[in-house]
Parts: sequence; structure tokens; C-alpha cells
Amino acid sequence: MEPSALASVATTVVPQRPRRQTVRSRWFRGFLWTPLRVVLVYAAVGGLWILFSDRALELLVPDPARRDQLQTFKGWLYVFATSVLIYALVRRAQSRLRSFGAEIRAAVESMVDGVVIIDQSGIVEANRAALELLGVKSKAEVLGSLEEFTRRFQPRNTDGSPVPLGDLASARALQGERTTRETLLRRADGREVVLSVSAAPFAAPGAPRSATLTIAVFRDVSAAHHLEAMRDEFLATAAHELKTPLAVVKAYAQLVQRRAPAEAPALTVVQRQVDRMTRLVQHLLDASRLRLDLGDGAPERFDLARLTAEVVERLRTTDGAHTFQFVAPGPVPVEGDRDRIARVLQSLLDNAVRFSPGGGAVEARVLLAGGEARVSVADHGVGIPVERQSRIFERYYRAHAGTPEDYGGLGLSLDLSREIVSRHGGRIWFESTPGQGSTFHFTLPAAQEGRA
Amino acid sequence: MRDVLVVEDDLDLLQLEEMVLQEAGHRVRTASDGQRALERVAEEMPGLILLDMRMPVMNGWEFAREFRRRYGRACPIVVVTAAENAQLRAAEVEADGWLAKPFDIDDVLRLVARFVAPPQNVRL
Repeated sequence: MEPSALASVATTVVPQRPRRQTVRSRWFRGFLWTPLRVVLVYAAVGGLWILFSDRALELLVPDPARRDQLQTFKGWLYVFATSVLIYALVRRAQSRLRSFGAEIRAAVESMVDGVVIIDQSGIVEANRAALELLGVKSKAEVLGSLEEFTRRFQPRNTDGSPVPLGDLASARALQGERTTRETLLRRADGREVVLSVSAAPFAAPGAPRSATLTIAVFRDVSAAHHLEAMRDEFLATAAHELKTPLAVVKAYAQLVQRRAPAEAPALTVVQRQVDRMTRLVQHLLDASRLRLDLGDGAPERFDLARLTAEVVERLRTTDGAHTFQFVAPGPVPVEGDRDRIARVLQSLLDNAVRFSPGGGAVEARVLLAGGEARVSVADHGVGIPVERQSRIFERYYRAHAGTPEDYGGLGLSLDLSREIVSRHGGRIWFESTPGQGSTFHFTLPAAQEGRA
Repeated sequence: MRDVLVVEDDLDLLQLEEMVLQEAGHRVRTASDGQRALERVAEEMPGLILLDMRMPVMNGWEFAREFRRRYGRACPIVVVTAAENAQLRAAEVEADGWLAKPFDIDDVLRLVARFVAPPQNVRL
């Protein structure tokens, strides 16, 4: 901050002293509400008593014989006074604790999210929102064993498959795990809801492990879930609607080519453009899907070298201007979404072709080293301008936009490739020299030996 | 020789598949939705069903479920779809094969030859 600005702040913020006072007095009060307060007050009263009780007795009772008689009584008086004092102090501290507990309880009770507390025997506490979310009237309907809860509310995964009892977020929390997941439940009124459930273990300080409790917080995410399902449906429809006409055009181009081989060059162009359009559609769909975080396709084990060879081979048949080289040491097994990895390969090879308009060699190398599979795609094309190199993985960024080398594209493929590779636990990077070409590399963890 | 039943709602594509398969010597019947496909199957059990997934009246998922309920695995089903993940869609209906659209005609022919006995007198 500049000095002048500081001065103006100093003049406007005048009431500093009272504020500091309240902070200190609050700290002071907080300090005194510890058990130390009881001890301190006791020590002060006891000390004063020791210092002054004999003097006071001397003043009040001049006769030493009588004073000796009163000594025992004085002792009893001391015990009585301090007992009353300690009683008052402890009682006050206790009532403060109790009211604090009541405040916490009221806060949990009025939370918007459903809260349930679970111990080894089952659900032991549920707040009002929890009852409302489950559609029940009284706590008694919810409290009880998890088996009972499962039987009544039928928790299922969002794909409809039943959740095994031990797999419930709250059951896992009892094992010491913190989890958040979406669960489908059937409310007491029969309505299906999707709840986002977060469960965490907790225990009183110093309590044994067996006394671990679970707090589960949940909220209704049915609306968001419904929206997601609609988007998913929309994307599926879009894929179908956009790709079907392309399928028809491509198939007829092939049909004509079979019947009139002389027209092959022209029809190859038609097919190449259809393939390109198909990829653009796929990129757009992938982009929205990855953005929505909708997974698709279970991971499978496949040979990265073979997949790379297939993609290269497809390009070789439709592109006569470039020479394609493919080098691999043999099978390179990896695990993942084969379709998506194929798209990464396709994107890198497309770029290599697109940005080497003069033709020339495009090399795809697959290697296996140090538990990693690596693919490198090299071209001898225009390269990437140095000042734009840091941005090429940004979405919609097109490094050659506005240059004579602007060969089109949506600026999606590298962003998508990076997203796909990183979701597989790999890395992607490149080297590029303007005027000489670029080499893109990506890695994937190699599949474990002996696993199917 | 058992024939190939092509189930596809896009008539242009349906016509093309019919033409190409016939030229390769296959006997072909067609249906433009799952309901009609079931009627064709009831007339005669085909040797292979090429099944599109998104169709009006009765879609591919419903057709496959109904087919399996009535006939079990009496005939292989190959899913031909423009969906994003053809393989996954095929797995959903426990299909015997899959083909992603847009496809290559050669791939269609290869796939069909895998399931239906190679035609006797092929006109090339």
C-alpha cells in the first residue's frame, strides 16, 4: 500500500482502542473459564485466610485460651467457606458447558443438511432435516441398525445397483475412511431421491478406537442429478444426430468408389473430409463430456503399439502427401479407455500432417521404458512460434491463428489430449523449432504384468 | 443359407447396406425399427442381425431385450451405432459384435462374413 493511502486509512479508522479492549477482555474471560479459575480463586481465598484469619481472630477475641478453643471452629469455617466457593464455581462452569452443548445441539438440529450420527450399533441420532429428506415423521423411524435402514430406504448406487452394507459411506467411515458419494434412496413416501452423502469418523479426545462414531451429512442433489442425466442424454442424441448423416455420406462415397474406380481420388477426398468432420464432432462431444466429468467406458487392457499402428495406417491410406513411419519395440500393453487414447493419437498425427503442408515424413514412435509407455509423434513442418508455445494446451487456443500457417482446427484437440492423458495418469509435452517441425510426446503407465 | 436382417431407421443407410450385402451374395431382409424387426424374426430366424440402437417405435435396447427373452441366443446380434462408445453400447445388450458409424463398407462385409457362411456365388 502507498504511504498516502495508509495515512487516509489511519485517519478514517479512529475507534481502535475500544476494539482492542473487547478483544482482550474476551480473551481474559475465556482464560478464566478454564478449570484454572476455580484453582486460582481457591488459592486466593485460601491465601488470604492463612494471612489474615489469625490476625482477625486476635482482634476479635483478646483471650488466648478462648482463642485456642476457637481454632478448630475456625478450621471448620474455612472448610465450609471454600466448599461453598468450589461448589458455586464448578456448578457455574458446568452450566456453561451444558448450555454450550445445547447450543451445538440446536445448531445441528436447525442445519439445512441432514445429519445423522452412527455408532457400531447403528444410527443413534438424526436431525430434523435428515427426517425431512428421508420423508419420515419421527426419529424412531430412522434410529436403529444400518441393516434396518438399508431394508427400509434401499440405498443404491446412482446406476441403480444396490450398495452392499459394508460399502455405505457411513459404514466405511466407521472403518476410519472419509467418503463422499451420491446414493439413490427410496423415501418413506416412495419417492426416489439422489443424496450426496459425506461421512467422516470422529471420536471424543482420548476415547478408544472402538468408541469411534460416524457423522454423516447429506443433501438432496436430485435436481442436479436430473440435469446431468438430461445433459448426458442430450450429448448422446447430438452424437447420433450429427454422425448419422456423415455415416451415410461416407458409405455412399465408398459405394460409388467401388463402382467407379476411376473416381477414386475425388471420392477419397470426400471420405477424408467426412472423417475430419466426424473427428470435430467427436472433439466437441468429448470436450463437453470431459467438462461435465461424465466418464464413459470401463478401462481395458490394450496394446498401445498396435493402436498407434492402426491410426497411422488409417492416415496412410487417405493421405498421399506424407510418408508415415512407425517404430515400436513390440507389444506395449497399457490400461485405459482405448477410444479416447486413439483420439489423442489421431489428434497428434492430424496436427503433424496439418502443420507440415509441404509433405514429408511423419514419425510415430512407441517405446516402453521405466514402467512407462511413451508415444512420440514428430513432423518436419512449420513448428510453433516460440512466443506461443506456452499456450498451446489452452482450450480454444490456436497457435497459428492469424499467421500464414493457419490450417484450421477448433483449438480443442490438444486441450482434450492433455485432459485425457492426465486422467490416465500420464504426461504430455512437446519440443518445437519454428521452421523445422515439432515433436509431441505423451506417456501412459504401462500395464502390470500378468494382469488380465 | 440363413440371411442377414438389417435393422436401421435411416432409409438411405438401410438401402445401402442392403445393396452392398446383396452384391456380396448375401440374402438380406430389412426393418426400419425394432418392432418390425421382431416381425421379420418371427417369420424366419435370420443368421445375423445388424442392429442400429437409436430408432423410433422400438429402439435397439428394447429390441435386444425382447429378442433375448423370446429366442435367447438363437442368432448373433451386431450393434451398428453412431453412439459415442459403440463397444459399450454393444456390451449393454450383450451383443456379439459392434461397428461404429461412420463405417467402412469393407468392415461391414468382413463382419458379416464372420457370422454368416460365406455366400456361394459371389458377384464381384
